[in-house]
Amino acid sequence: MDTWNLLLGGFATAATPINLLWAFVGCALGTAIGVLPGLGPAVTVAMLLPITSQVEPTASMIFFCGIYYGAMYGGSTTSILLNTPGETGTMVTALEGFKMAKSGRAGAALATSAIGSFVAGTIATVLVTLAAPLMASFAVKLGPPEYFCLMLLAFTTVSAVLGQSTLRGMTALFLGLAMGLIGIDQITGQVRYAGGLPELMDGVEVVLVAVGLFAVAEALYNALYEGHSPTEMNKMNKAHMTRSEWKRSWPAWMRGTLIGFPFGTIPAGGTEIPTFLSYATERKLSKHQEEFGTTGAIEGVAGPEAANNAAVTATLVPLLTLGIPTSVTAAILLNAFQNYGINAGPQLFQTSSSLVWALIASLYIGNVMLLVLNLPMVGLWVKLLKIPKAQLYAGILIFATVGVYGMRQSAFDLYLMYGLALVGLIMRRYDFPIAPVIVGLILGPLAEAQLRNALSIGSGSWVVFVERPMSLSLLVLVLLVLLTPRLLAWHRRA
Amino acid sequence: MSQTPTPLPQPAWPEVFIGVGVLALAAFLAWGASGISSEAGYAGVGPNFLPWAVSAALAACGVGLLWEARTGGYRDREPPSGAEKADWPAFVWVSVGVLANAALITTLGFIVSCALCFVLAVRGLRVAEGKPGGGLHQTVKDAMVGLLIAAPVYWLFTKILAVNLPGLTATGWL
Repeated sequence: MDTWNLLLGGFATAATPINLLWAFVGCALGTAIGVLPGLGPAVTVAMLLPITSQVEPTASMIFFCGIYYGAMYGGSTTSILLNTPGETGTMVTALEGFKMAKSGRAGAALATSAIGSFVAGTIATVLVTLAAPLMASFAVKLGPPEYFCLMLLAFTTVSAVLGQSTLRGMTALFLGLAMGLIGIDQITGQVRYAGGLPELMDGVEVVLVAVGLFAVAEALYNALYEGHSPTEMNKMNKAHMTRSEWKRSWPAWMRGTLIGFPFGTIPAGGTEIPTFLSYATERKLSKHQEEFGTTGAIEGVAGPEAANNAAVTATLVPLLTLGIPTSVTAAILLNAFQNYGINAGPQLFQTSSSLVWALIASLYIGNVMLLVLNLPMVGLWVKLLKIPKAQLYAGILIFATVGVYGMRQSAFDLYLMYGLALVGLIMRRYDFPIAPVIVGLILGPLAEAQLRNALSIGSGSWVVFVERPMSLSLLVLVLLVLLTPRLLAWHRRA
Repeated sequence: MSQTPTPLPQPAWPEVFIGVGVLALAAFLAWGASGISSEAGYAGVGPNFLPWAVSAALAACGVGLLWEARTGGYRDREPPSGAEKADWPAFVWVSVGVLANAALITTLGFIVSCALCFVLAVRGLRVAEGKPGGGLHQTVKDAMVGLLIAAPVYWLFTKILAVNLPGLTATGWL
């Protein structure tokens, strides 16, 4: 089979010593930042974007992806032991995992989450292998109107569905789109909103926005508000599961994978929904109802962890085949592709076939590495949690400087980073989601180009969007996403 | 977790302020958009279309936020984590650290400038935890830790990954 040969070729590239080393360093670094509070995979990849000027694309994408899913493995460790999830995707893990650890079963919780992540990650990688080429051959047929509608859908879901309030989500999205406007217009070469500052001509760097809004804002937030927040850490014990725990975990892993994967592939943004869905399913199906919320039920850790990893792996499908990111980290990976001048999208499977297949092969390898890193060596990572908070956040500022300054060698960017940190601080305090800003910033210019191309096709007429069946159905979908929650709420009140 | 369970006892004026800020941004975008050409070519819209659209959308969001702030506060707002009252001295220490780094990085070089940033920020974060900022001895210790983080990072990025970072000397090691 063709896919099979391509995948074997991918393994040949991914298994070269240098690429294996990149994968290993990525997985280890990902686990570490997943364990540490305050740094997520998105910011870490953003900070490391300057290396794209030196390291060749295949190696750096393998490295970045290792960080991405390594963080998901590491994040669950923190959720279970500290009850402060490092990642939104591991929020649900904290519900039951922390309770299990409190009643002395930390080892079982850690084991089921690591093995569950491995099982789900591997199954999801197989599904990516099979689905991505199909999706790419389908996506080649899409024209600018369809692409614009797909991006519109991604915008809507990331800002309206996630988070508490559509209004605040939309505000965040348009803030991101506004920042994306700065610089030279791709089509006409017109400069917009640069204010005569040469630093702004090339636009605002994604690194700077991500690092400012997440990492530096987090340091400031900690200084302002979190100084007296107590941290309580559960006791670790050996990662190990009994026979009955294995028996209870398996079905939960499978269901979690089935729930997680489809959510990752559609532009419905993020891992929050599938993990919550998986948790609700396990809670309903479990024969051990009494353990939920009291001593901690293992299904409540196994299911969401599997769902989380399946969804994260699946985000690669729309990223690689459509060039549409459905999570913040995926958005930053898209930016990494852009730095190399590679257009993620259906053509990627033809133009950069060896890169794509090496990347997919490295997912298989990375999952095995992560299982080893996270089961026998979990005690090592837990030591990272002993770093005092003050030193940790101050240290993060140094890394933030590397990423932001290293990208363009401009001290102006460091001031801008501080300004954005203040914005991030306000957003964090007043419960504005940050993901839409990043997605808007990266996807905005692309969506604008597609919009204008689409209108050129329709010789300036907007009818082009409703004439084509595919783009019309996508538009209807956007409306449904926007209106359904409102109608439901209205129905309930009436 | 906050000490008092009552959600948002303060008046919603910070929320009003945010709404006004969003409106101001919308106005700024509109002012900028008016100076962008509408040259559309074959497309129906030119480079000024998205600026106007974003400006209009932000204006709508600003009005919505203002309305929510004036009628009982933002809807479905999660109570923020951490203390109710802000610790401004700690905030100033960290801010000065970041800004000093921006101001000095080209003259002092990456390592020294980042170590200085570390010293200031760590002091602020320690003050926030209610611990003493520390005397000379502690400051020297912080500076050593800062140098121990910044120097390997500098070498890793400049020597191995070939990312340009400014040095104090031309030796490439400091």
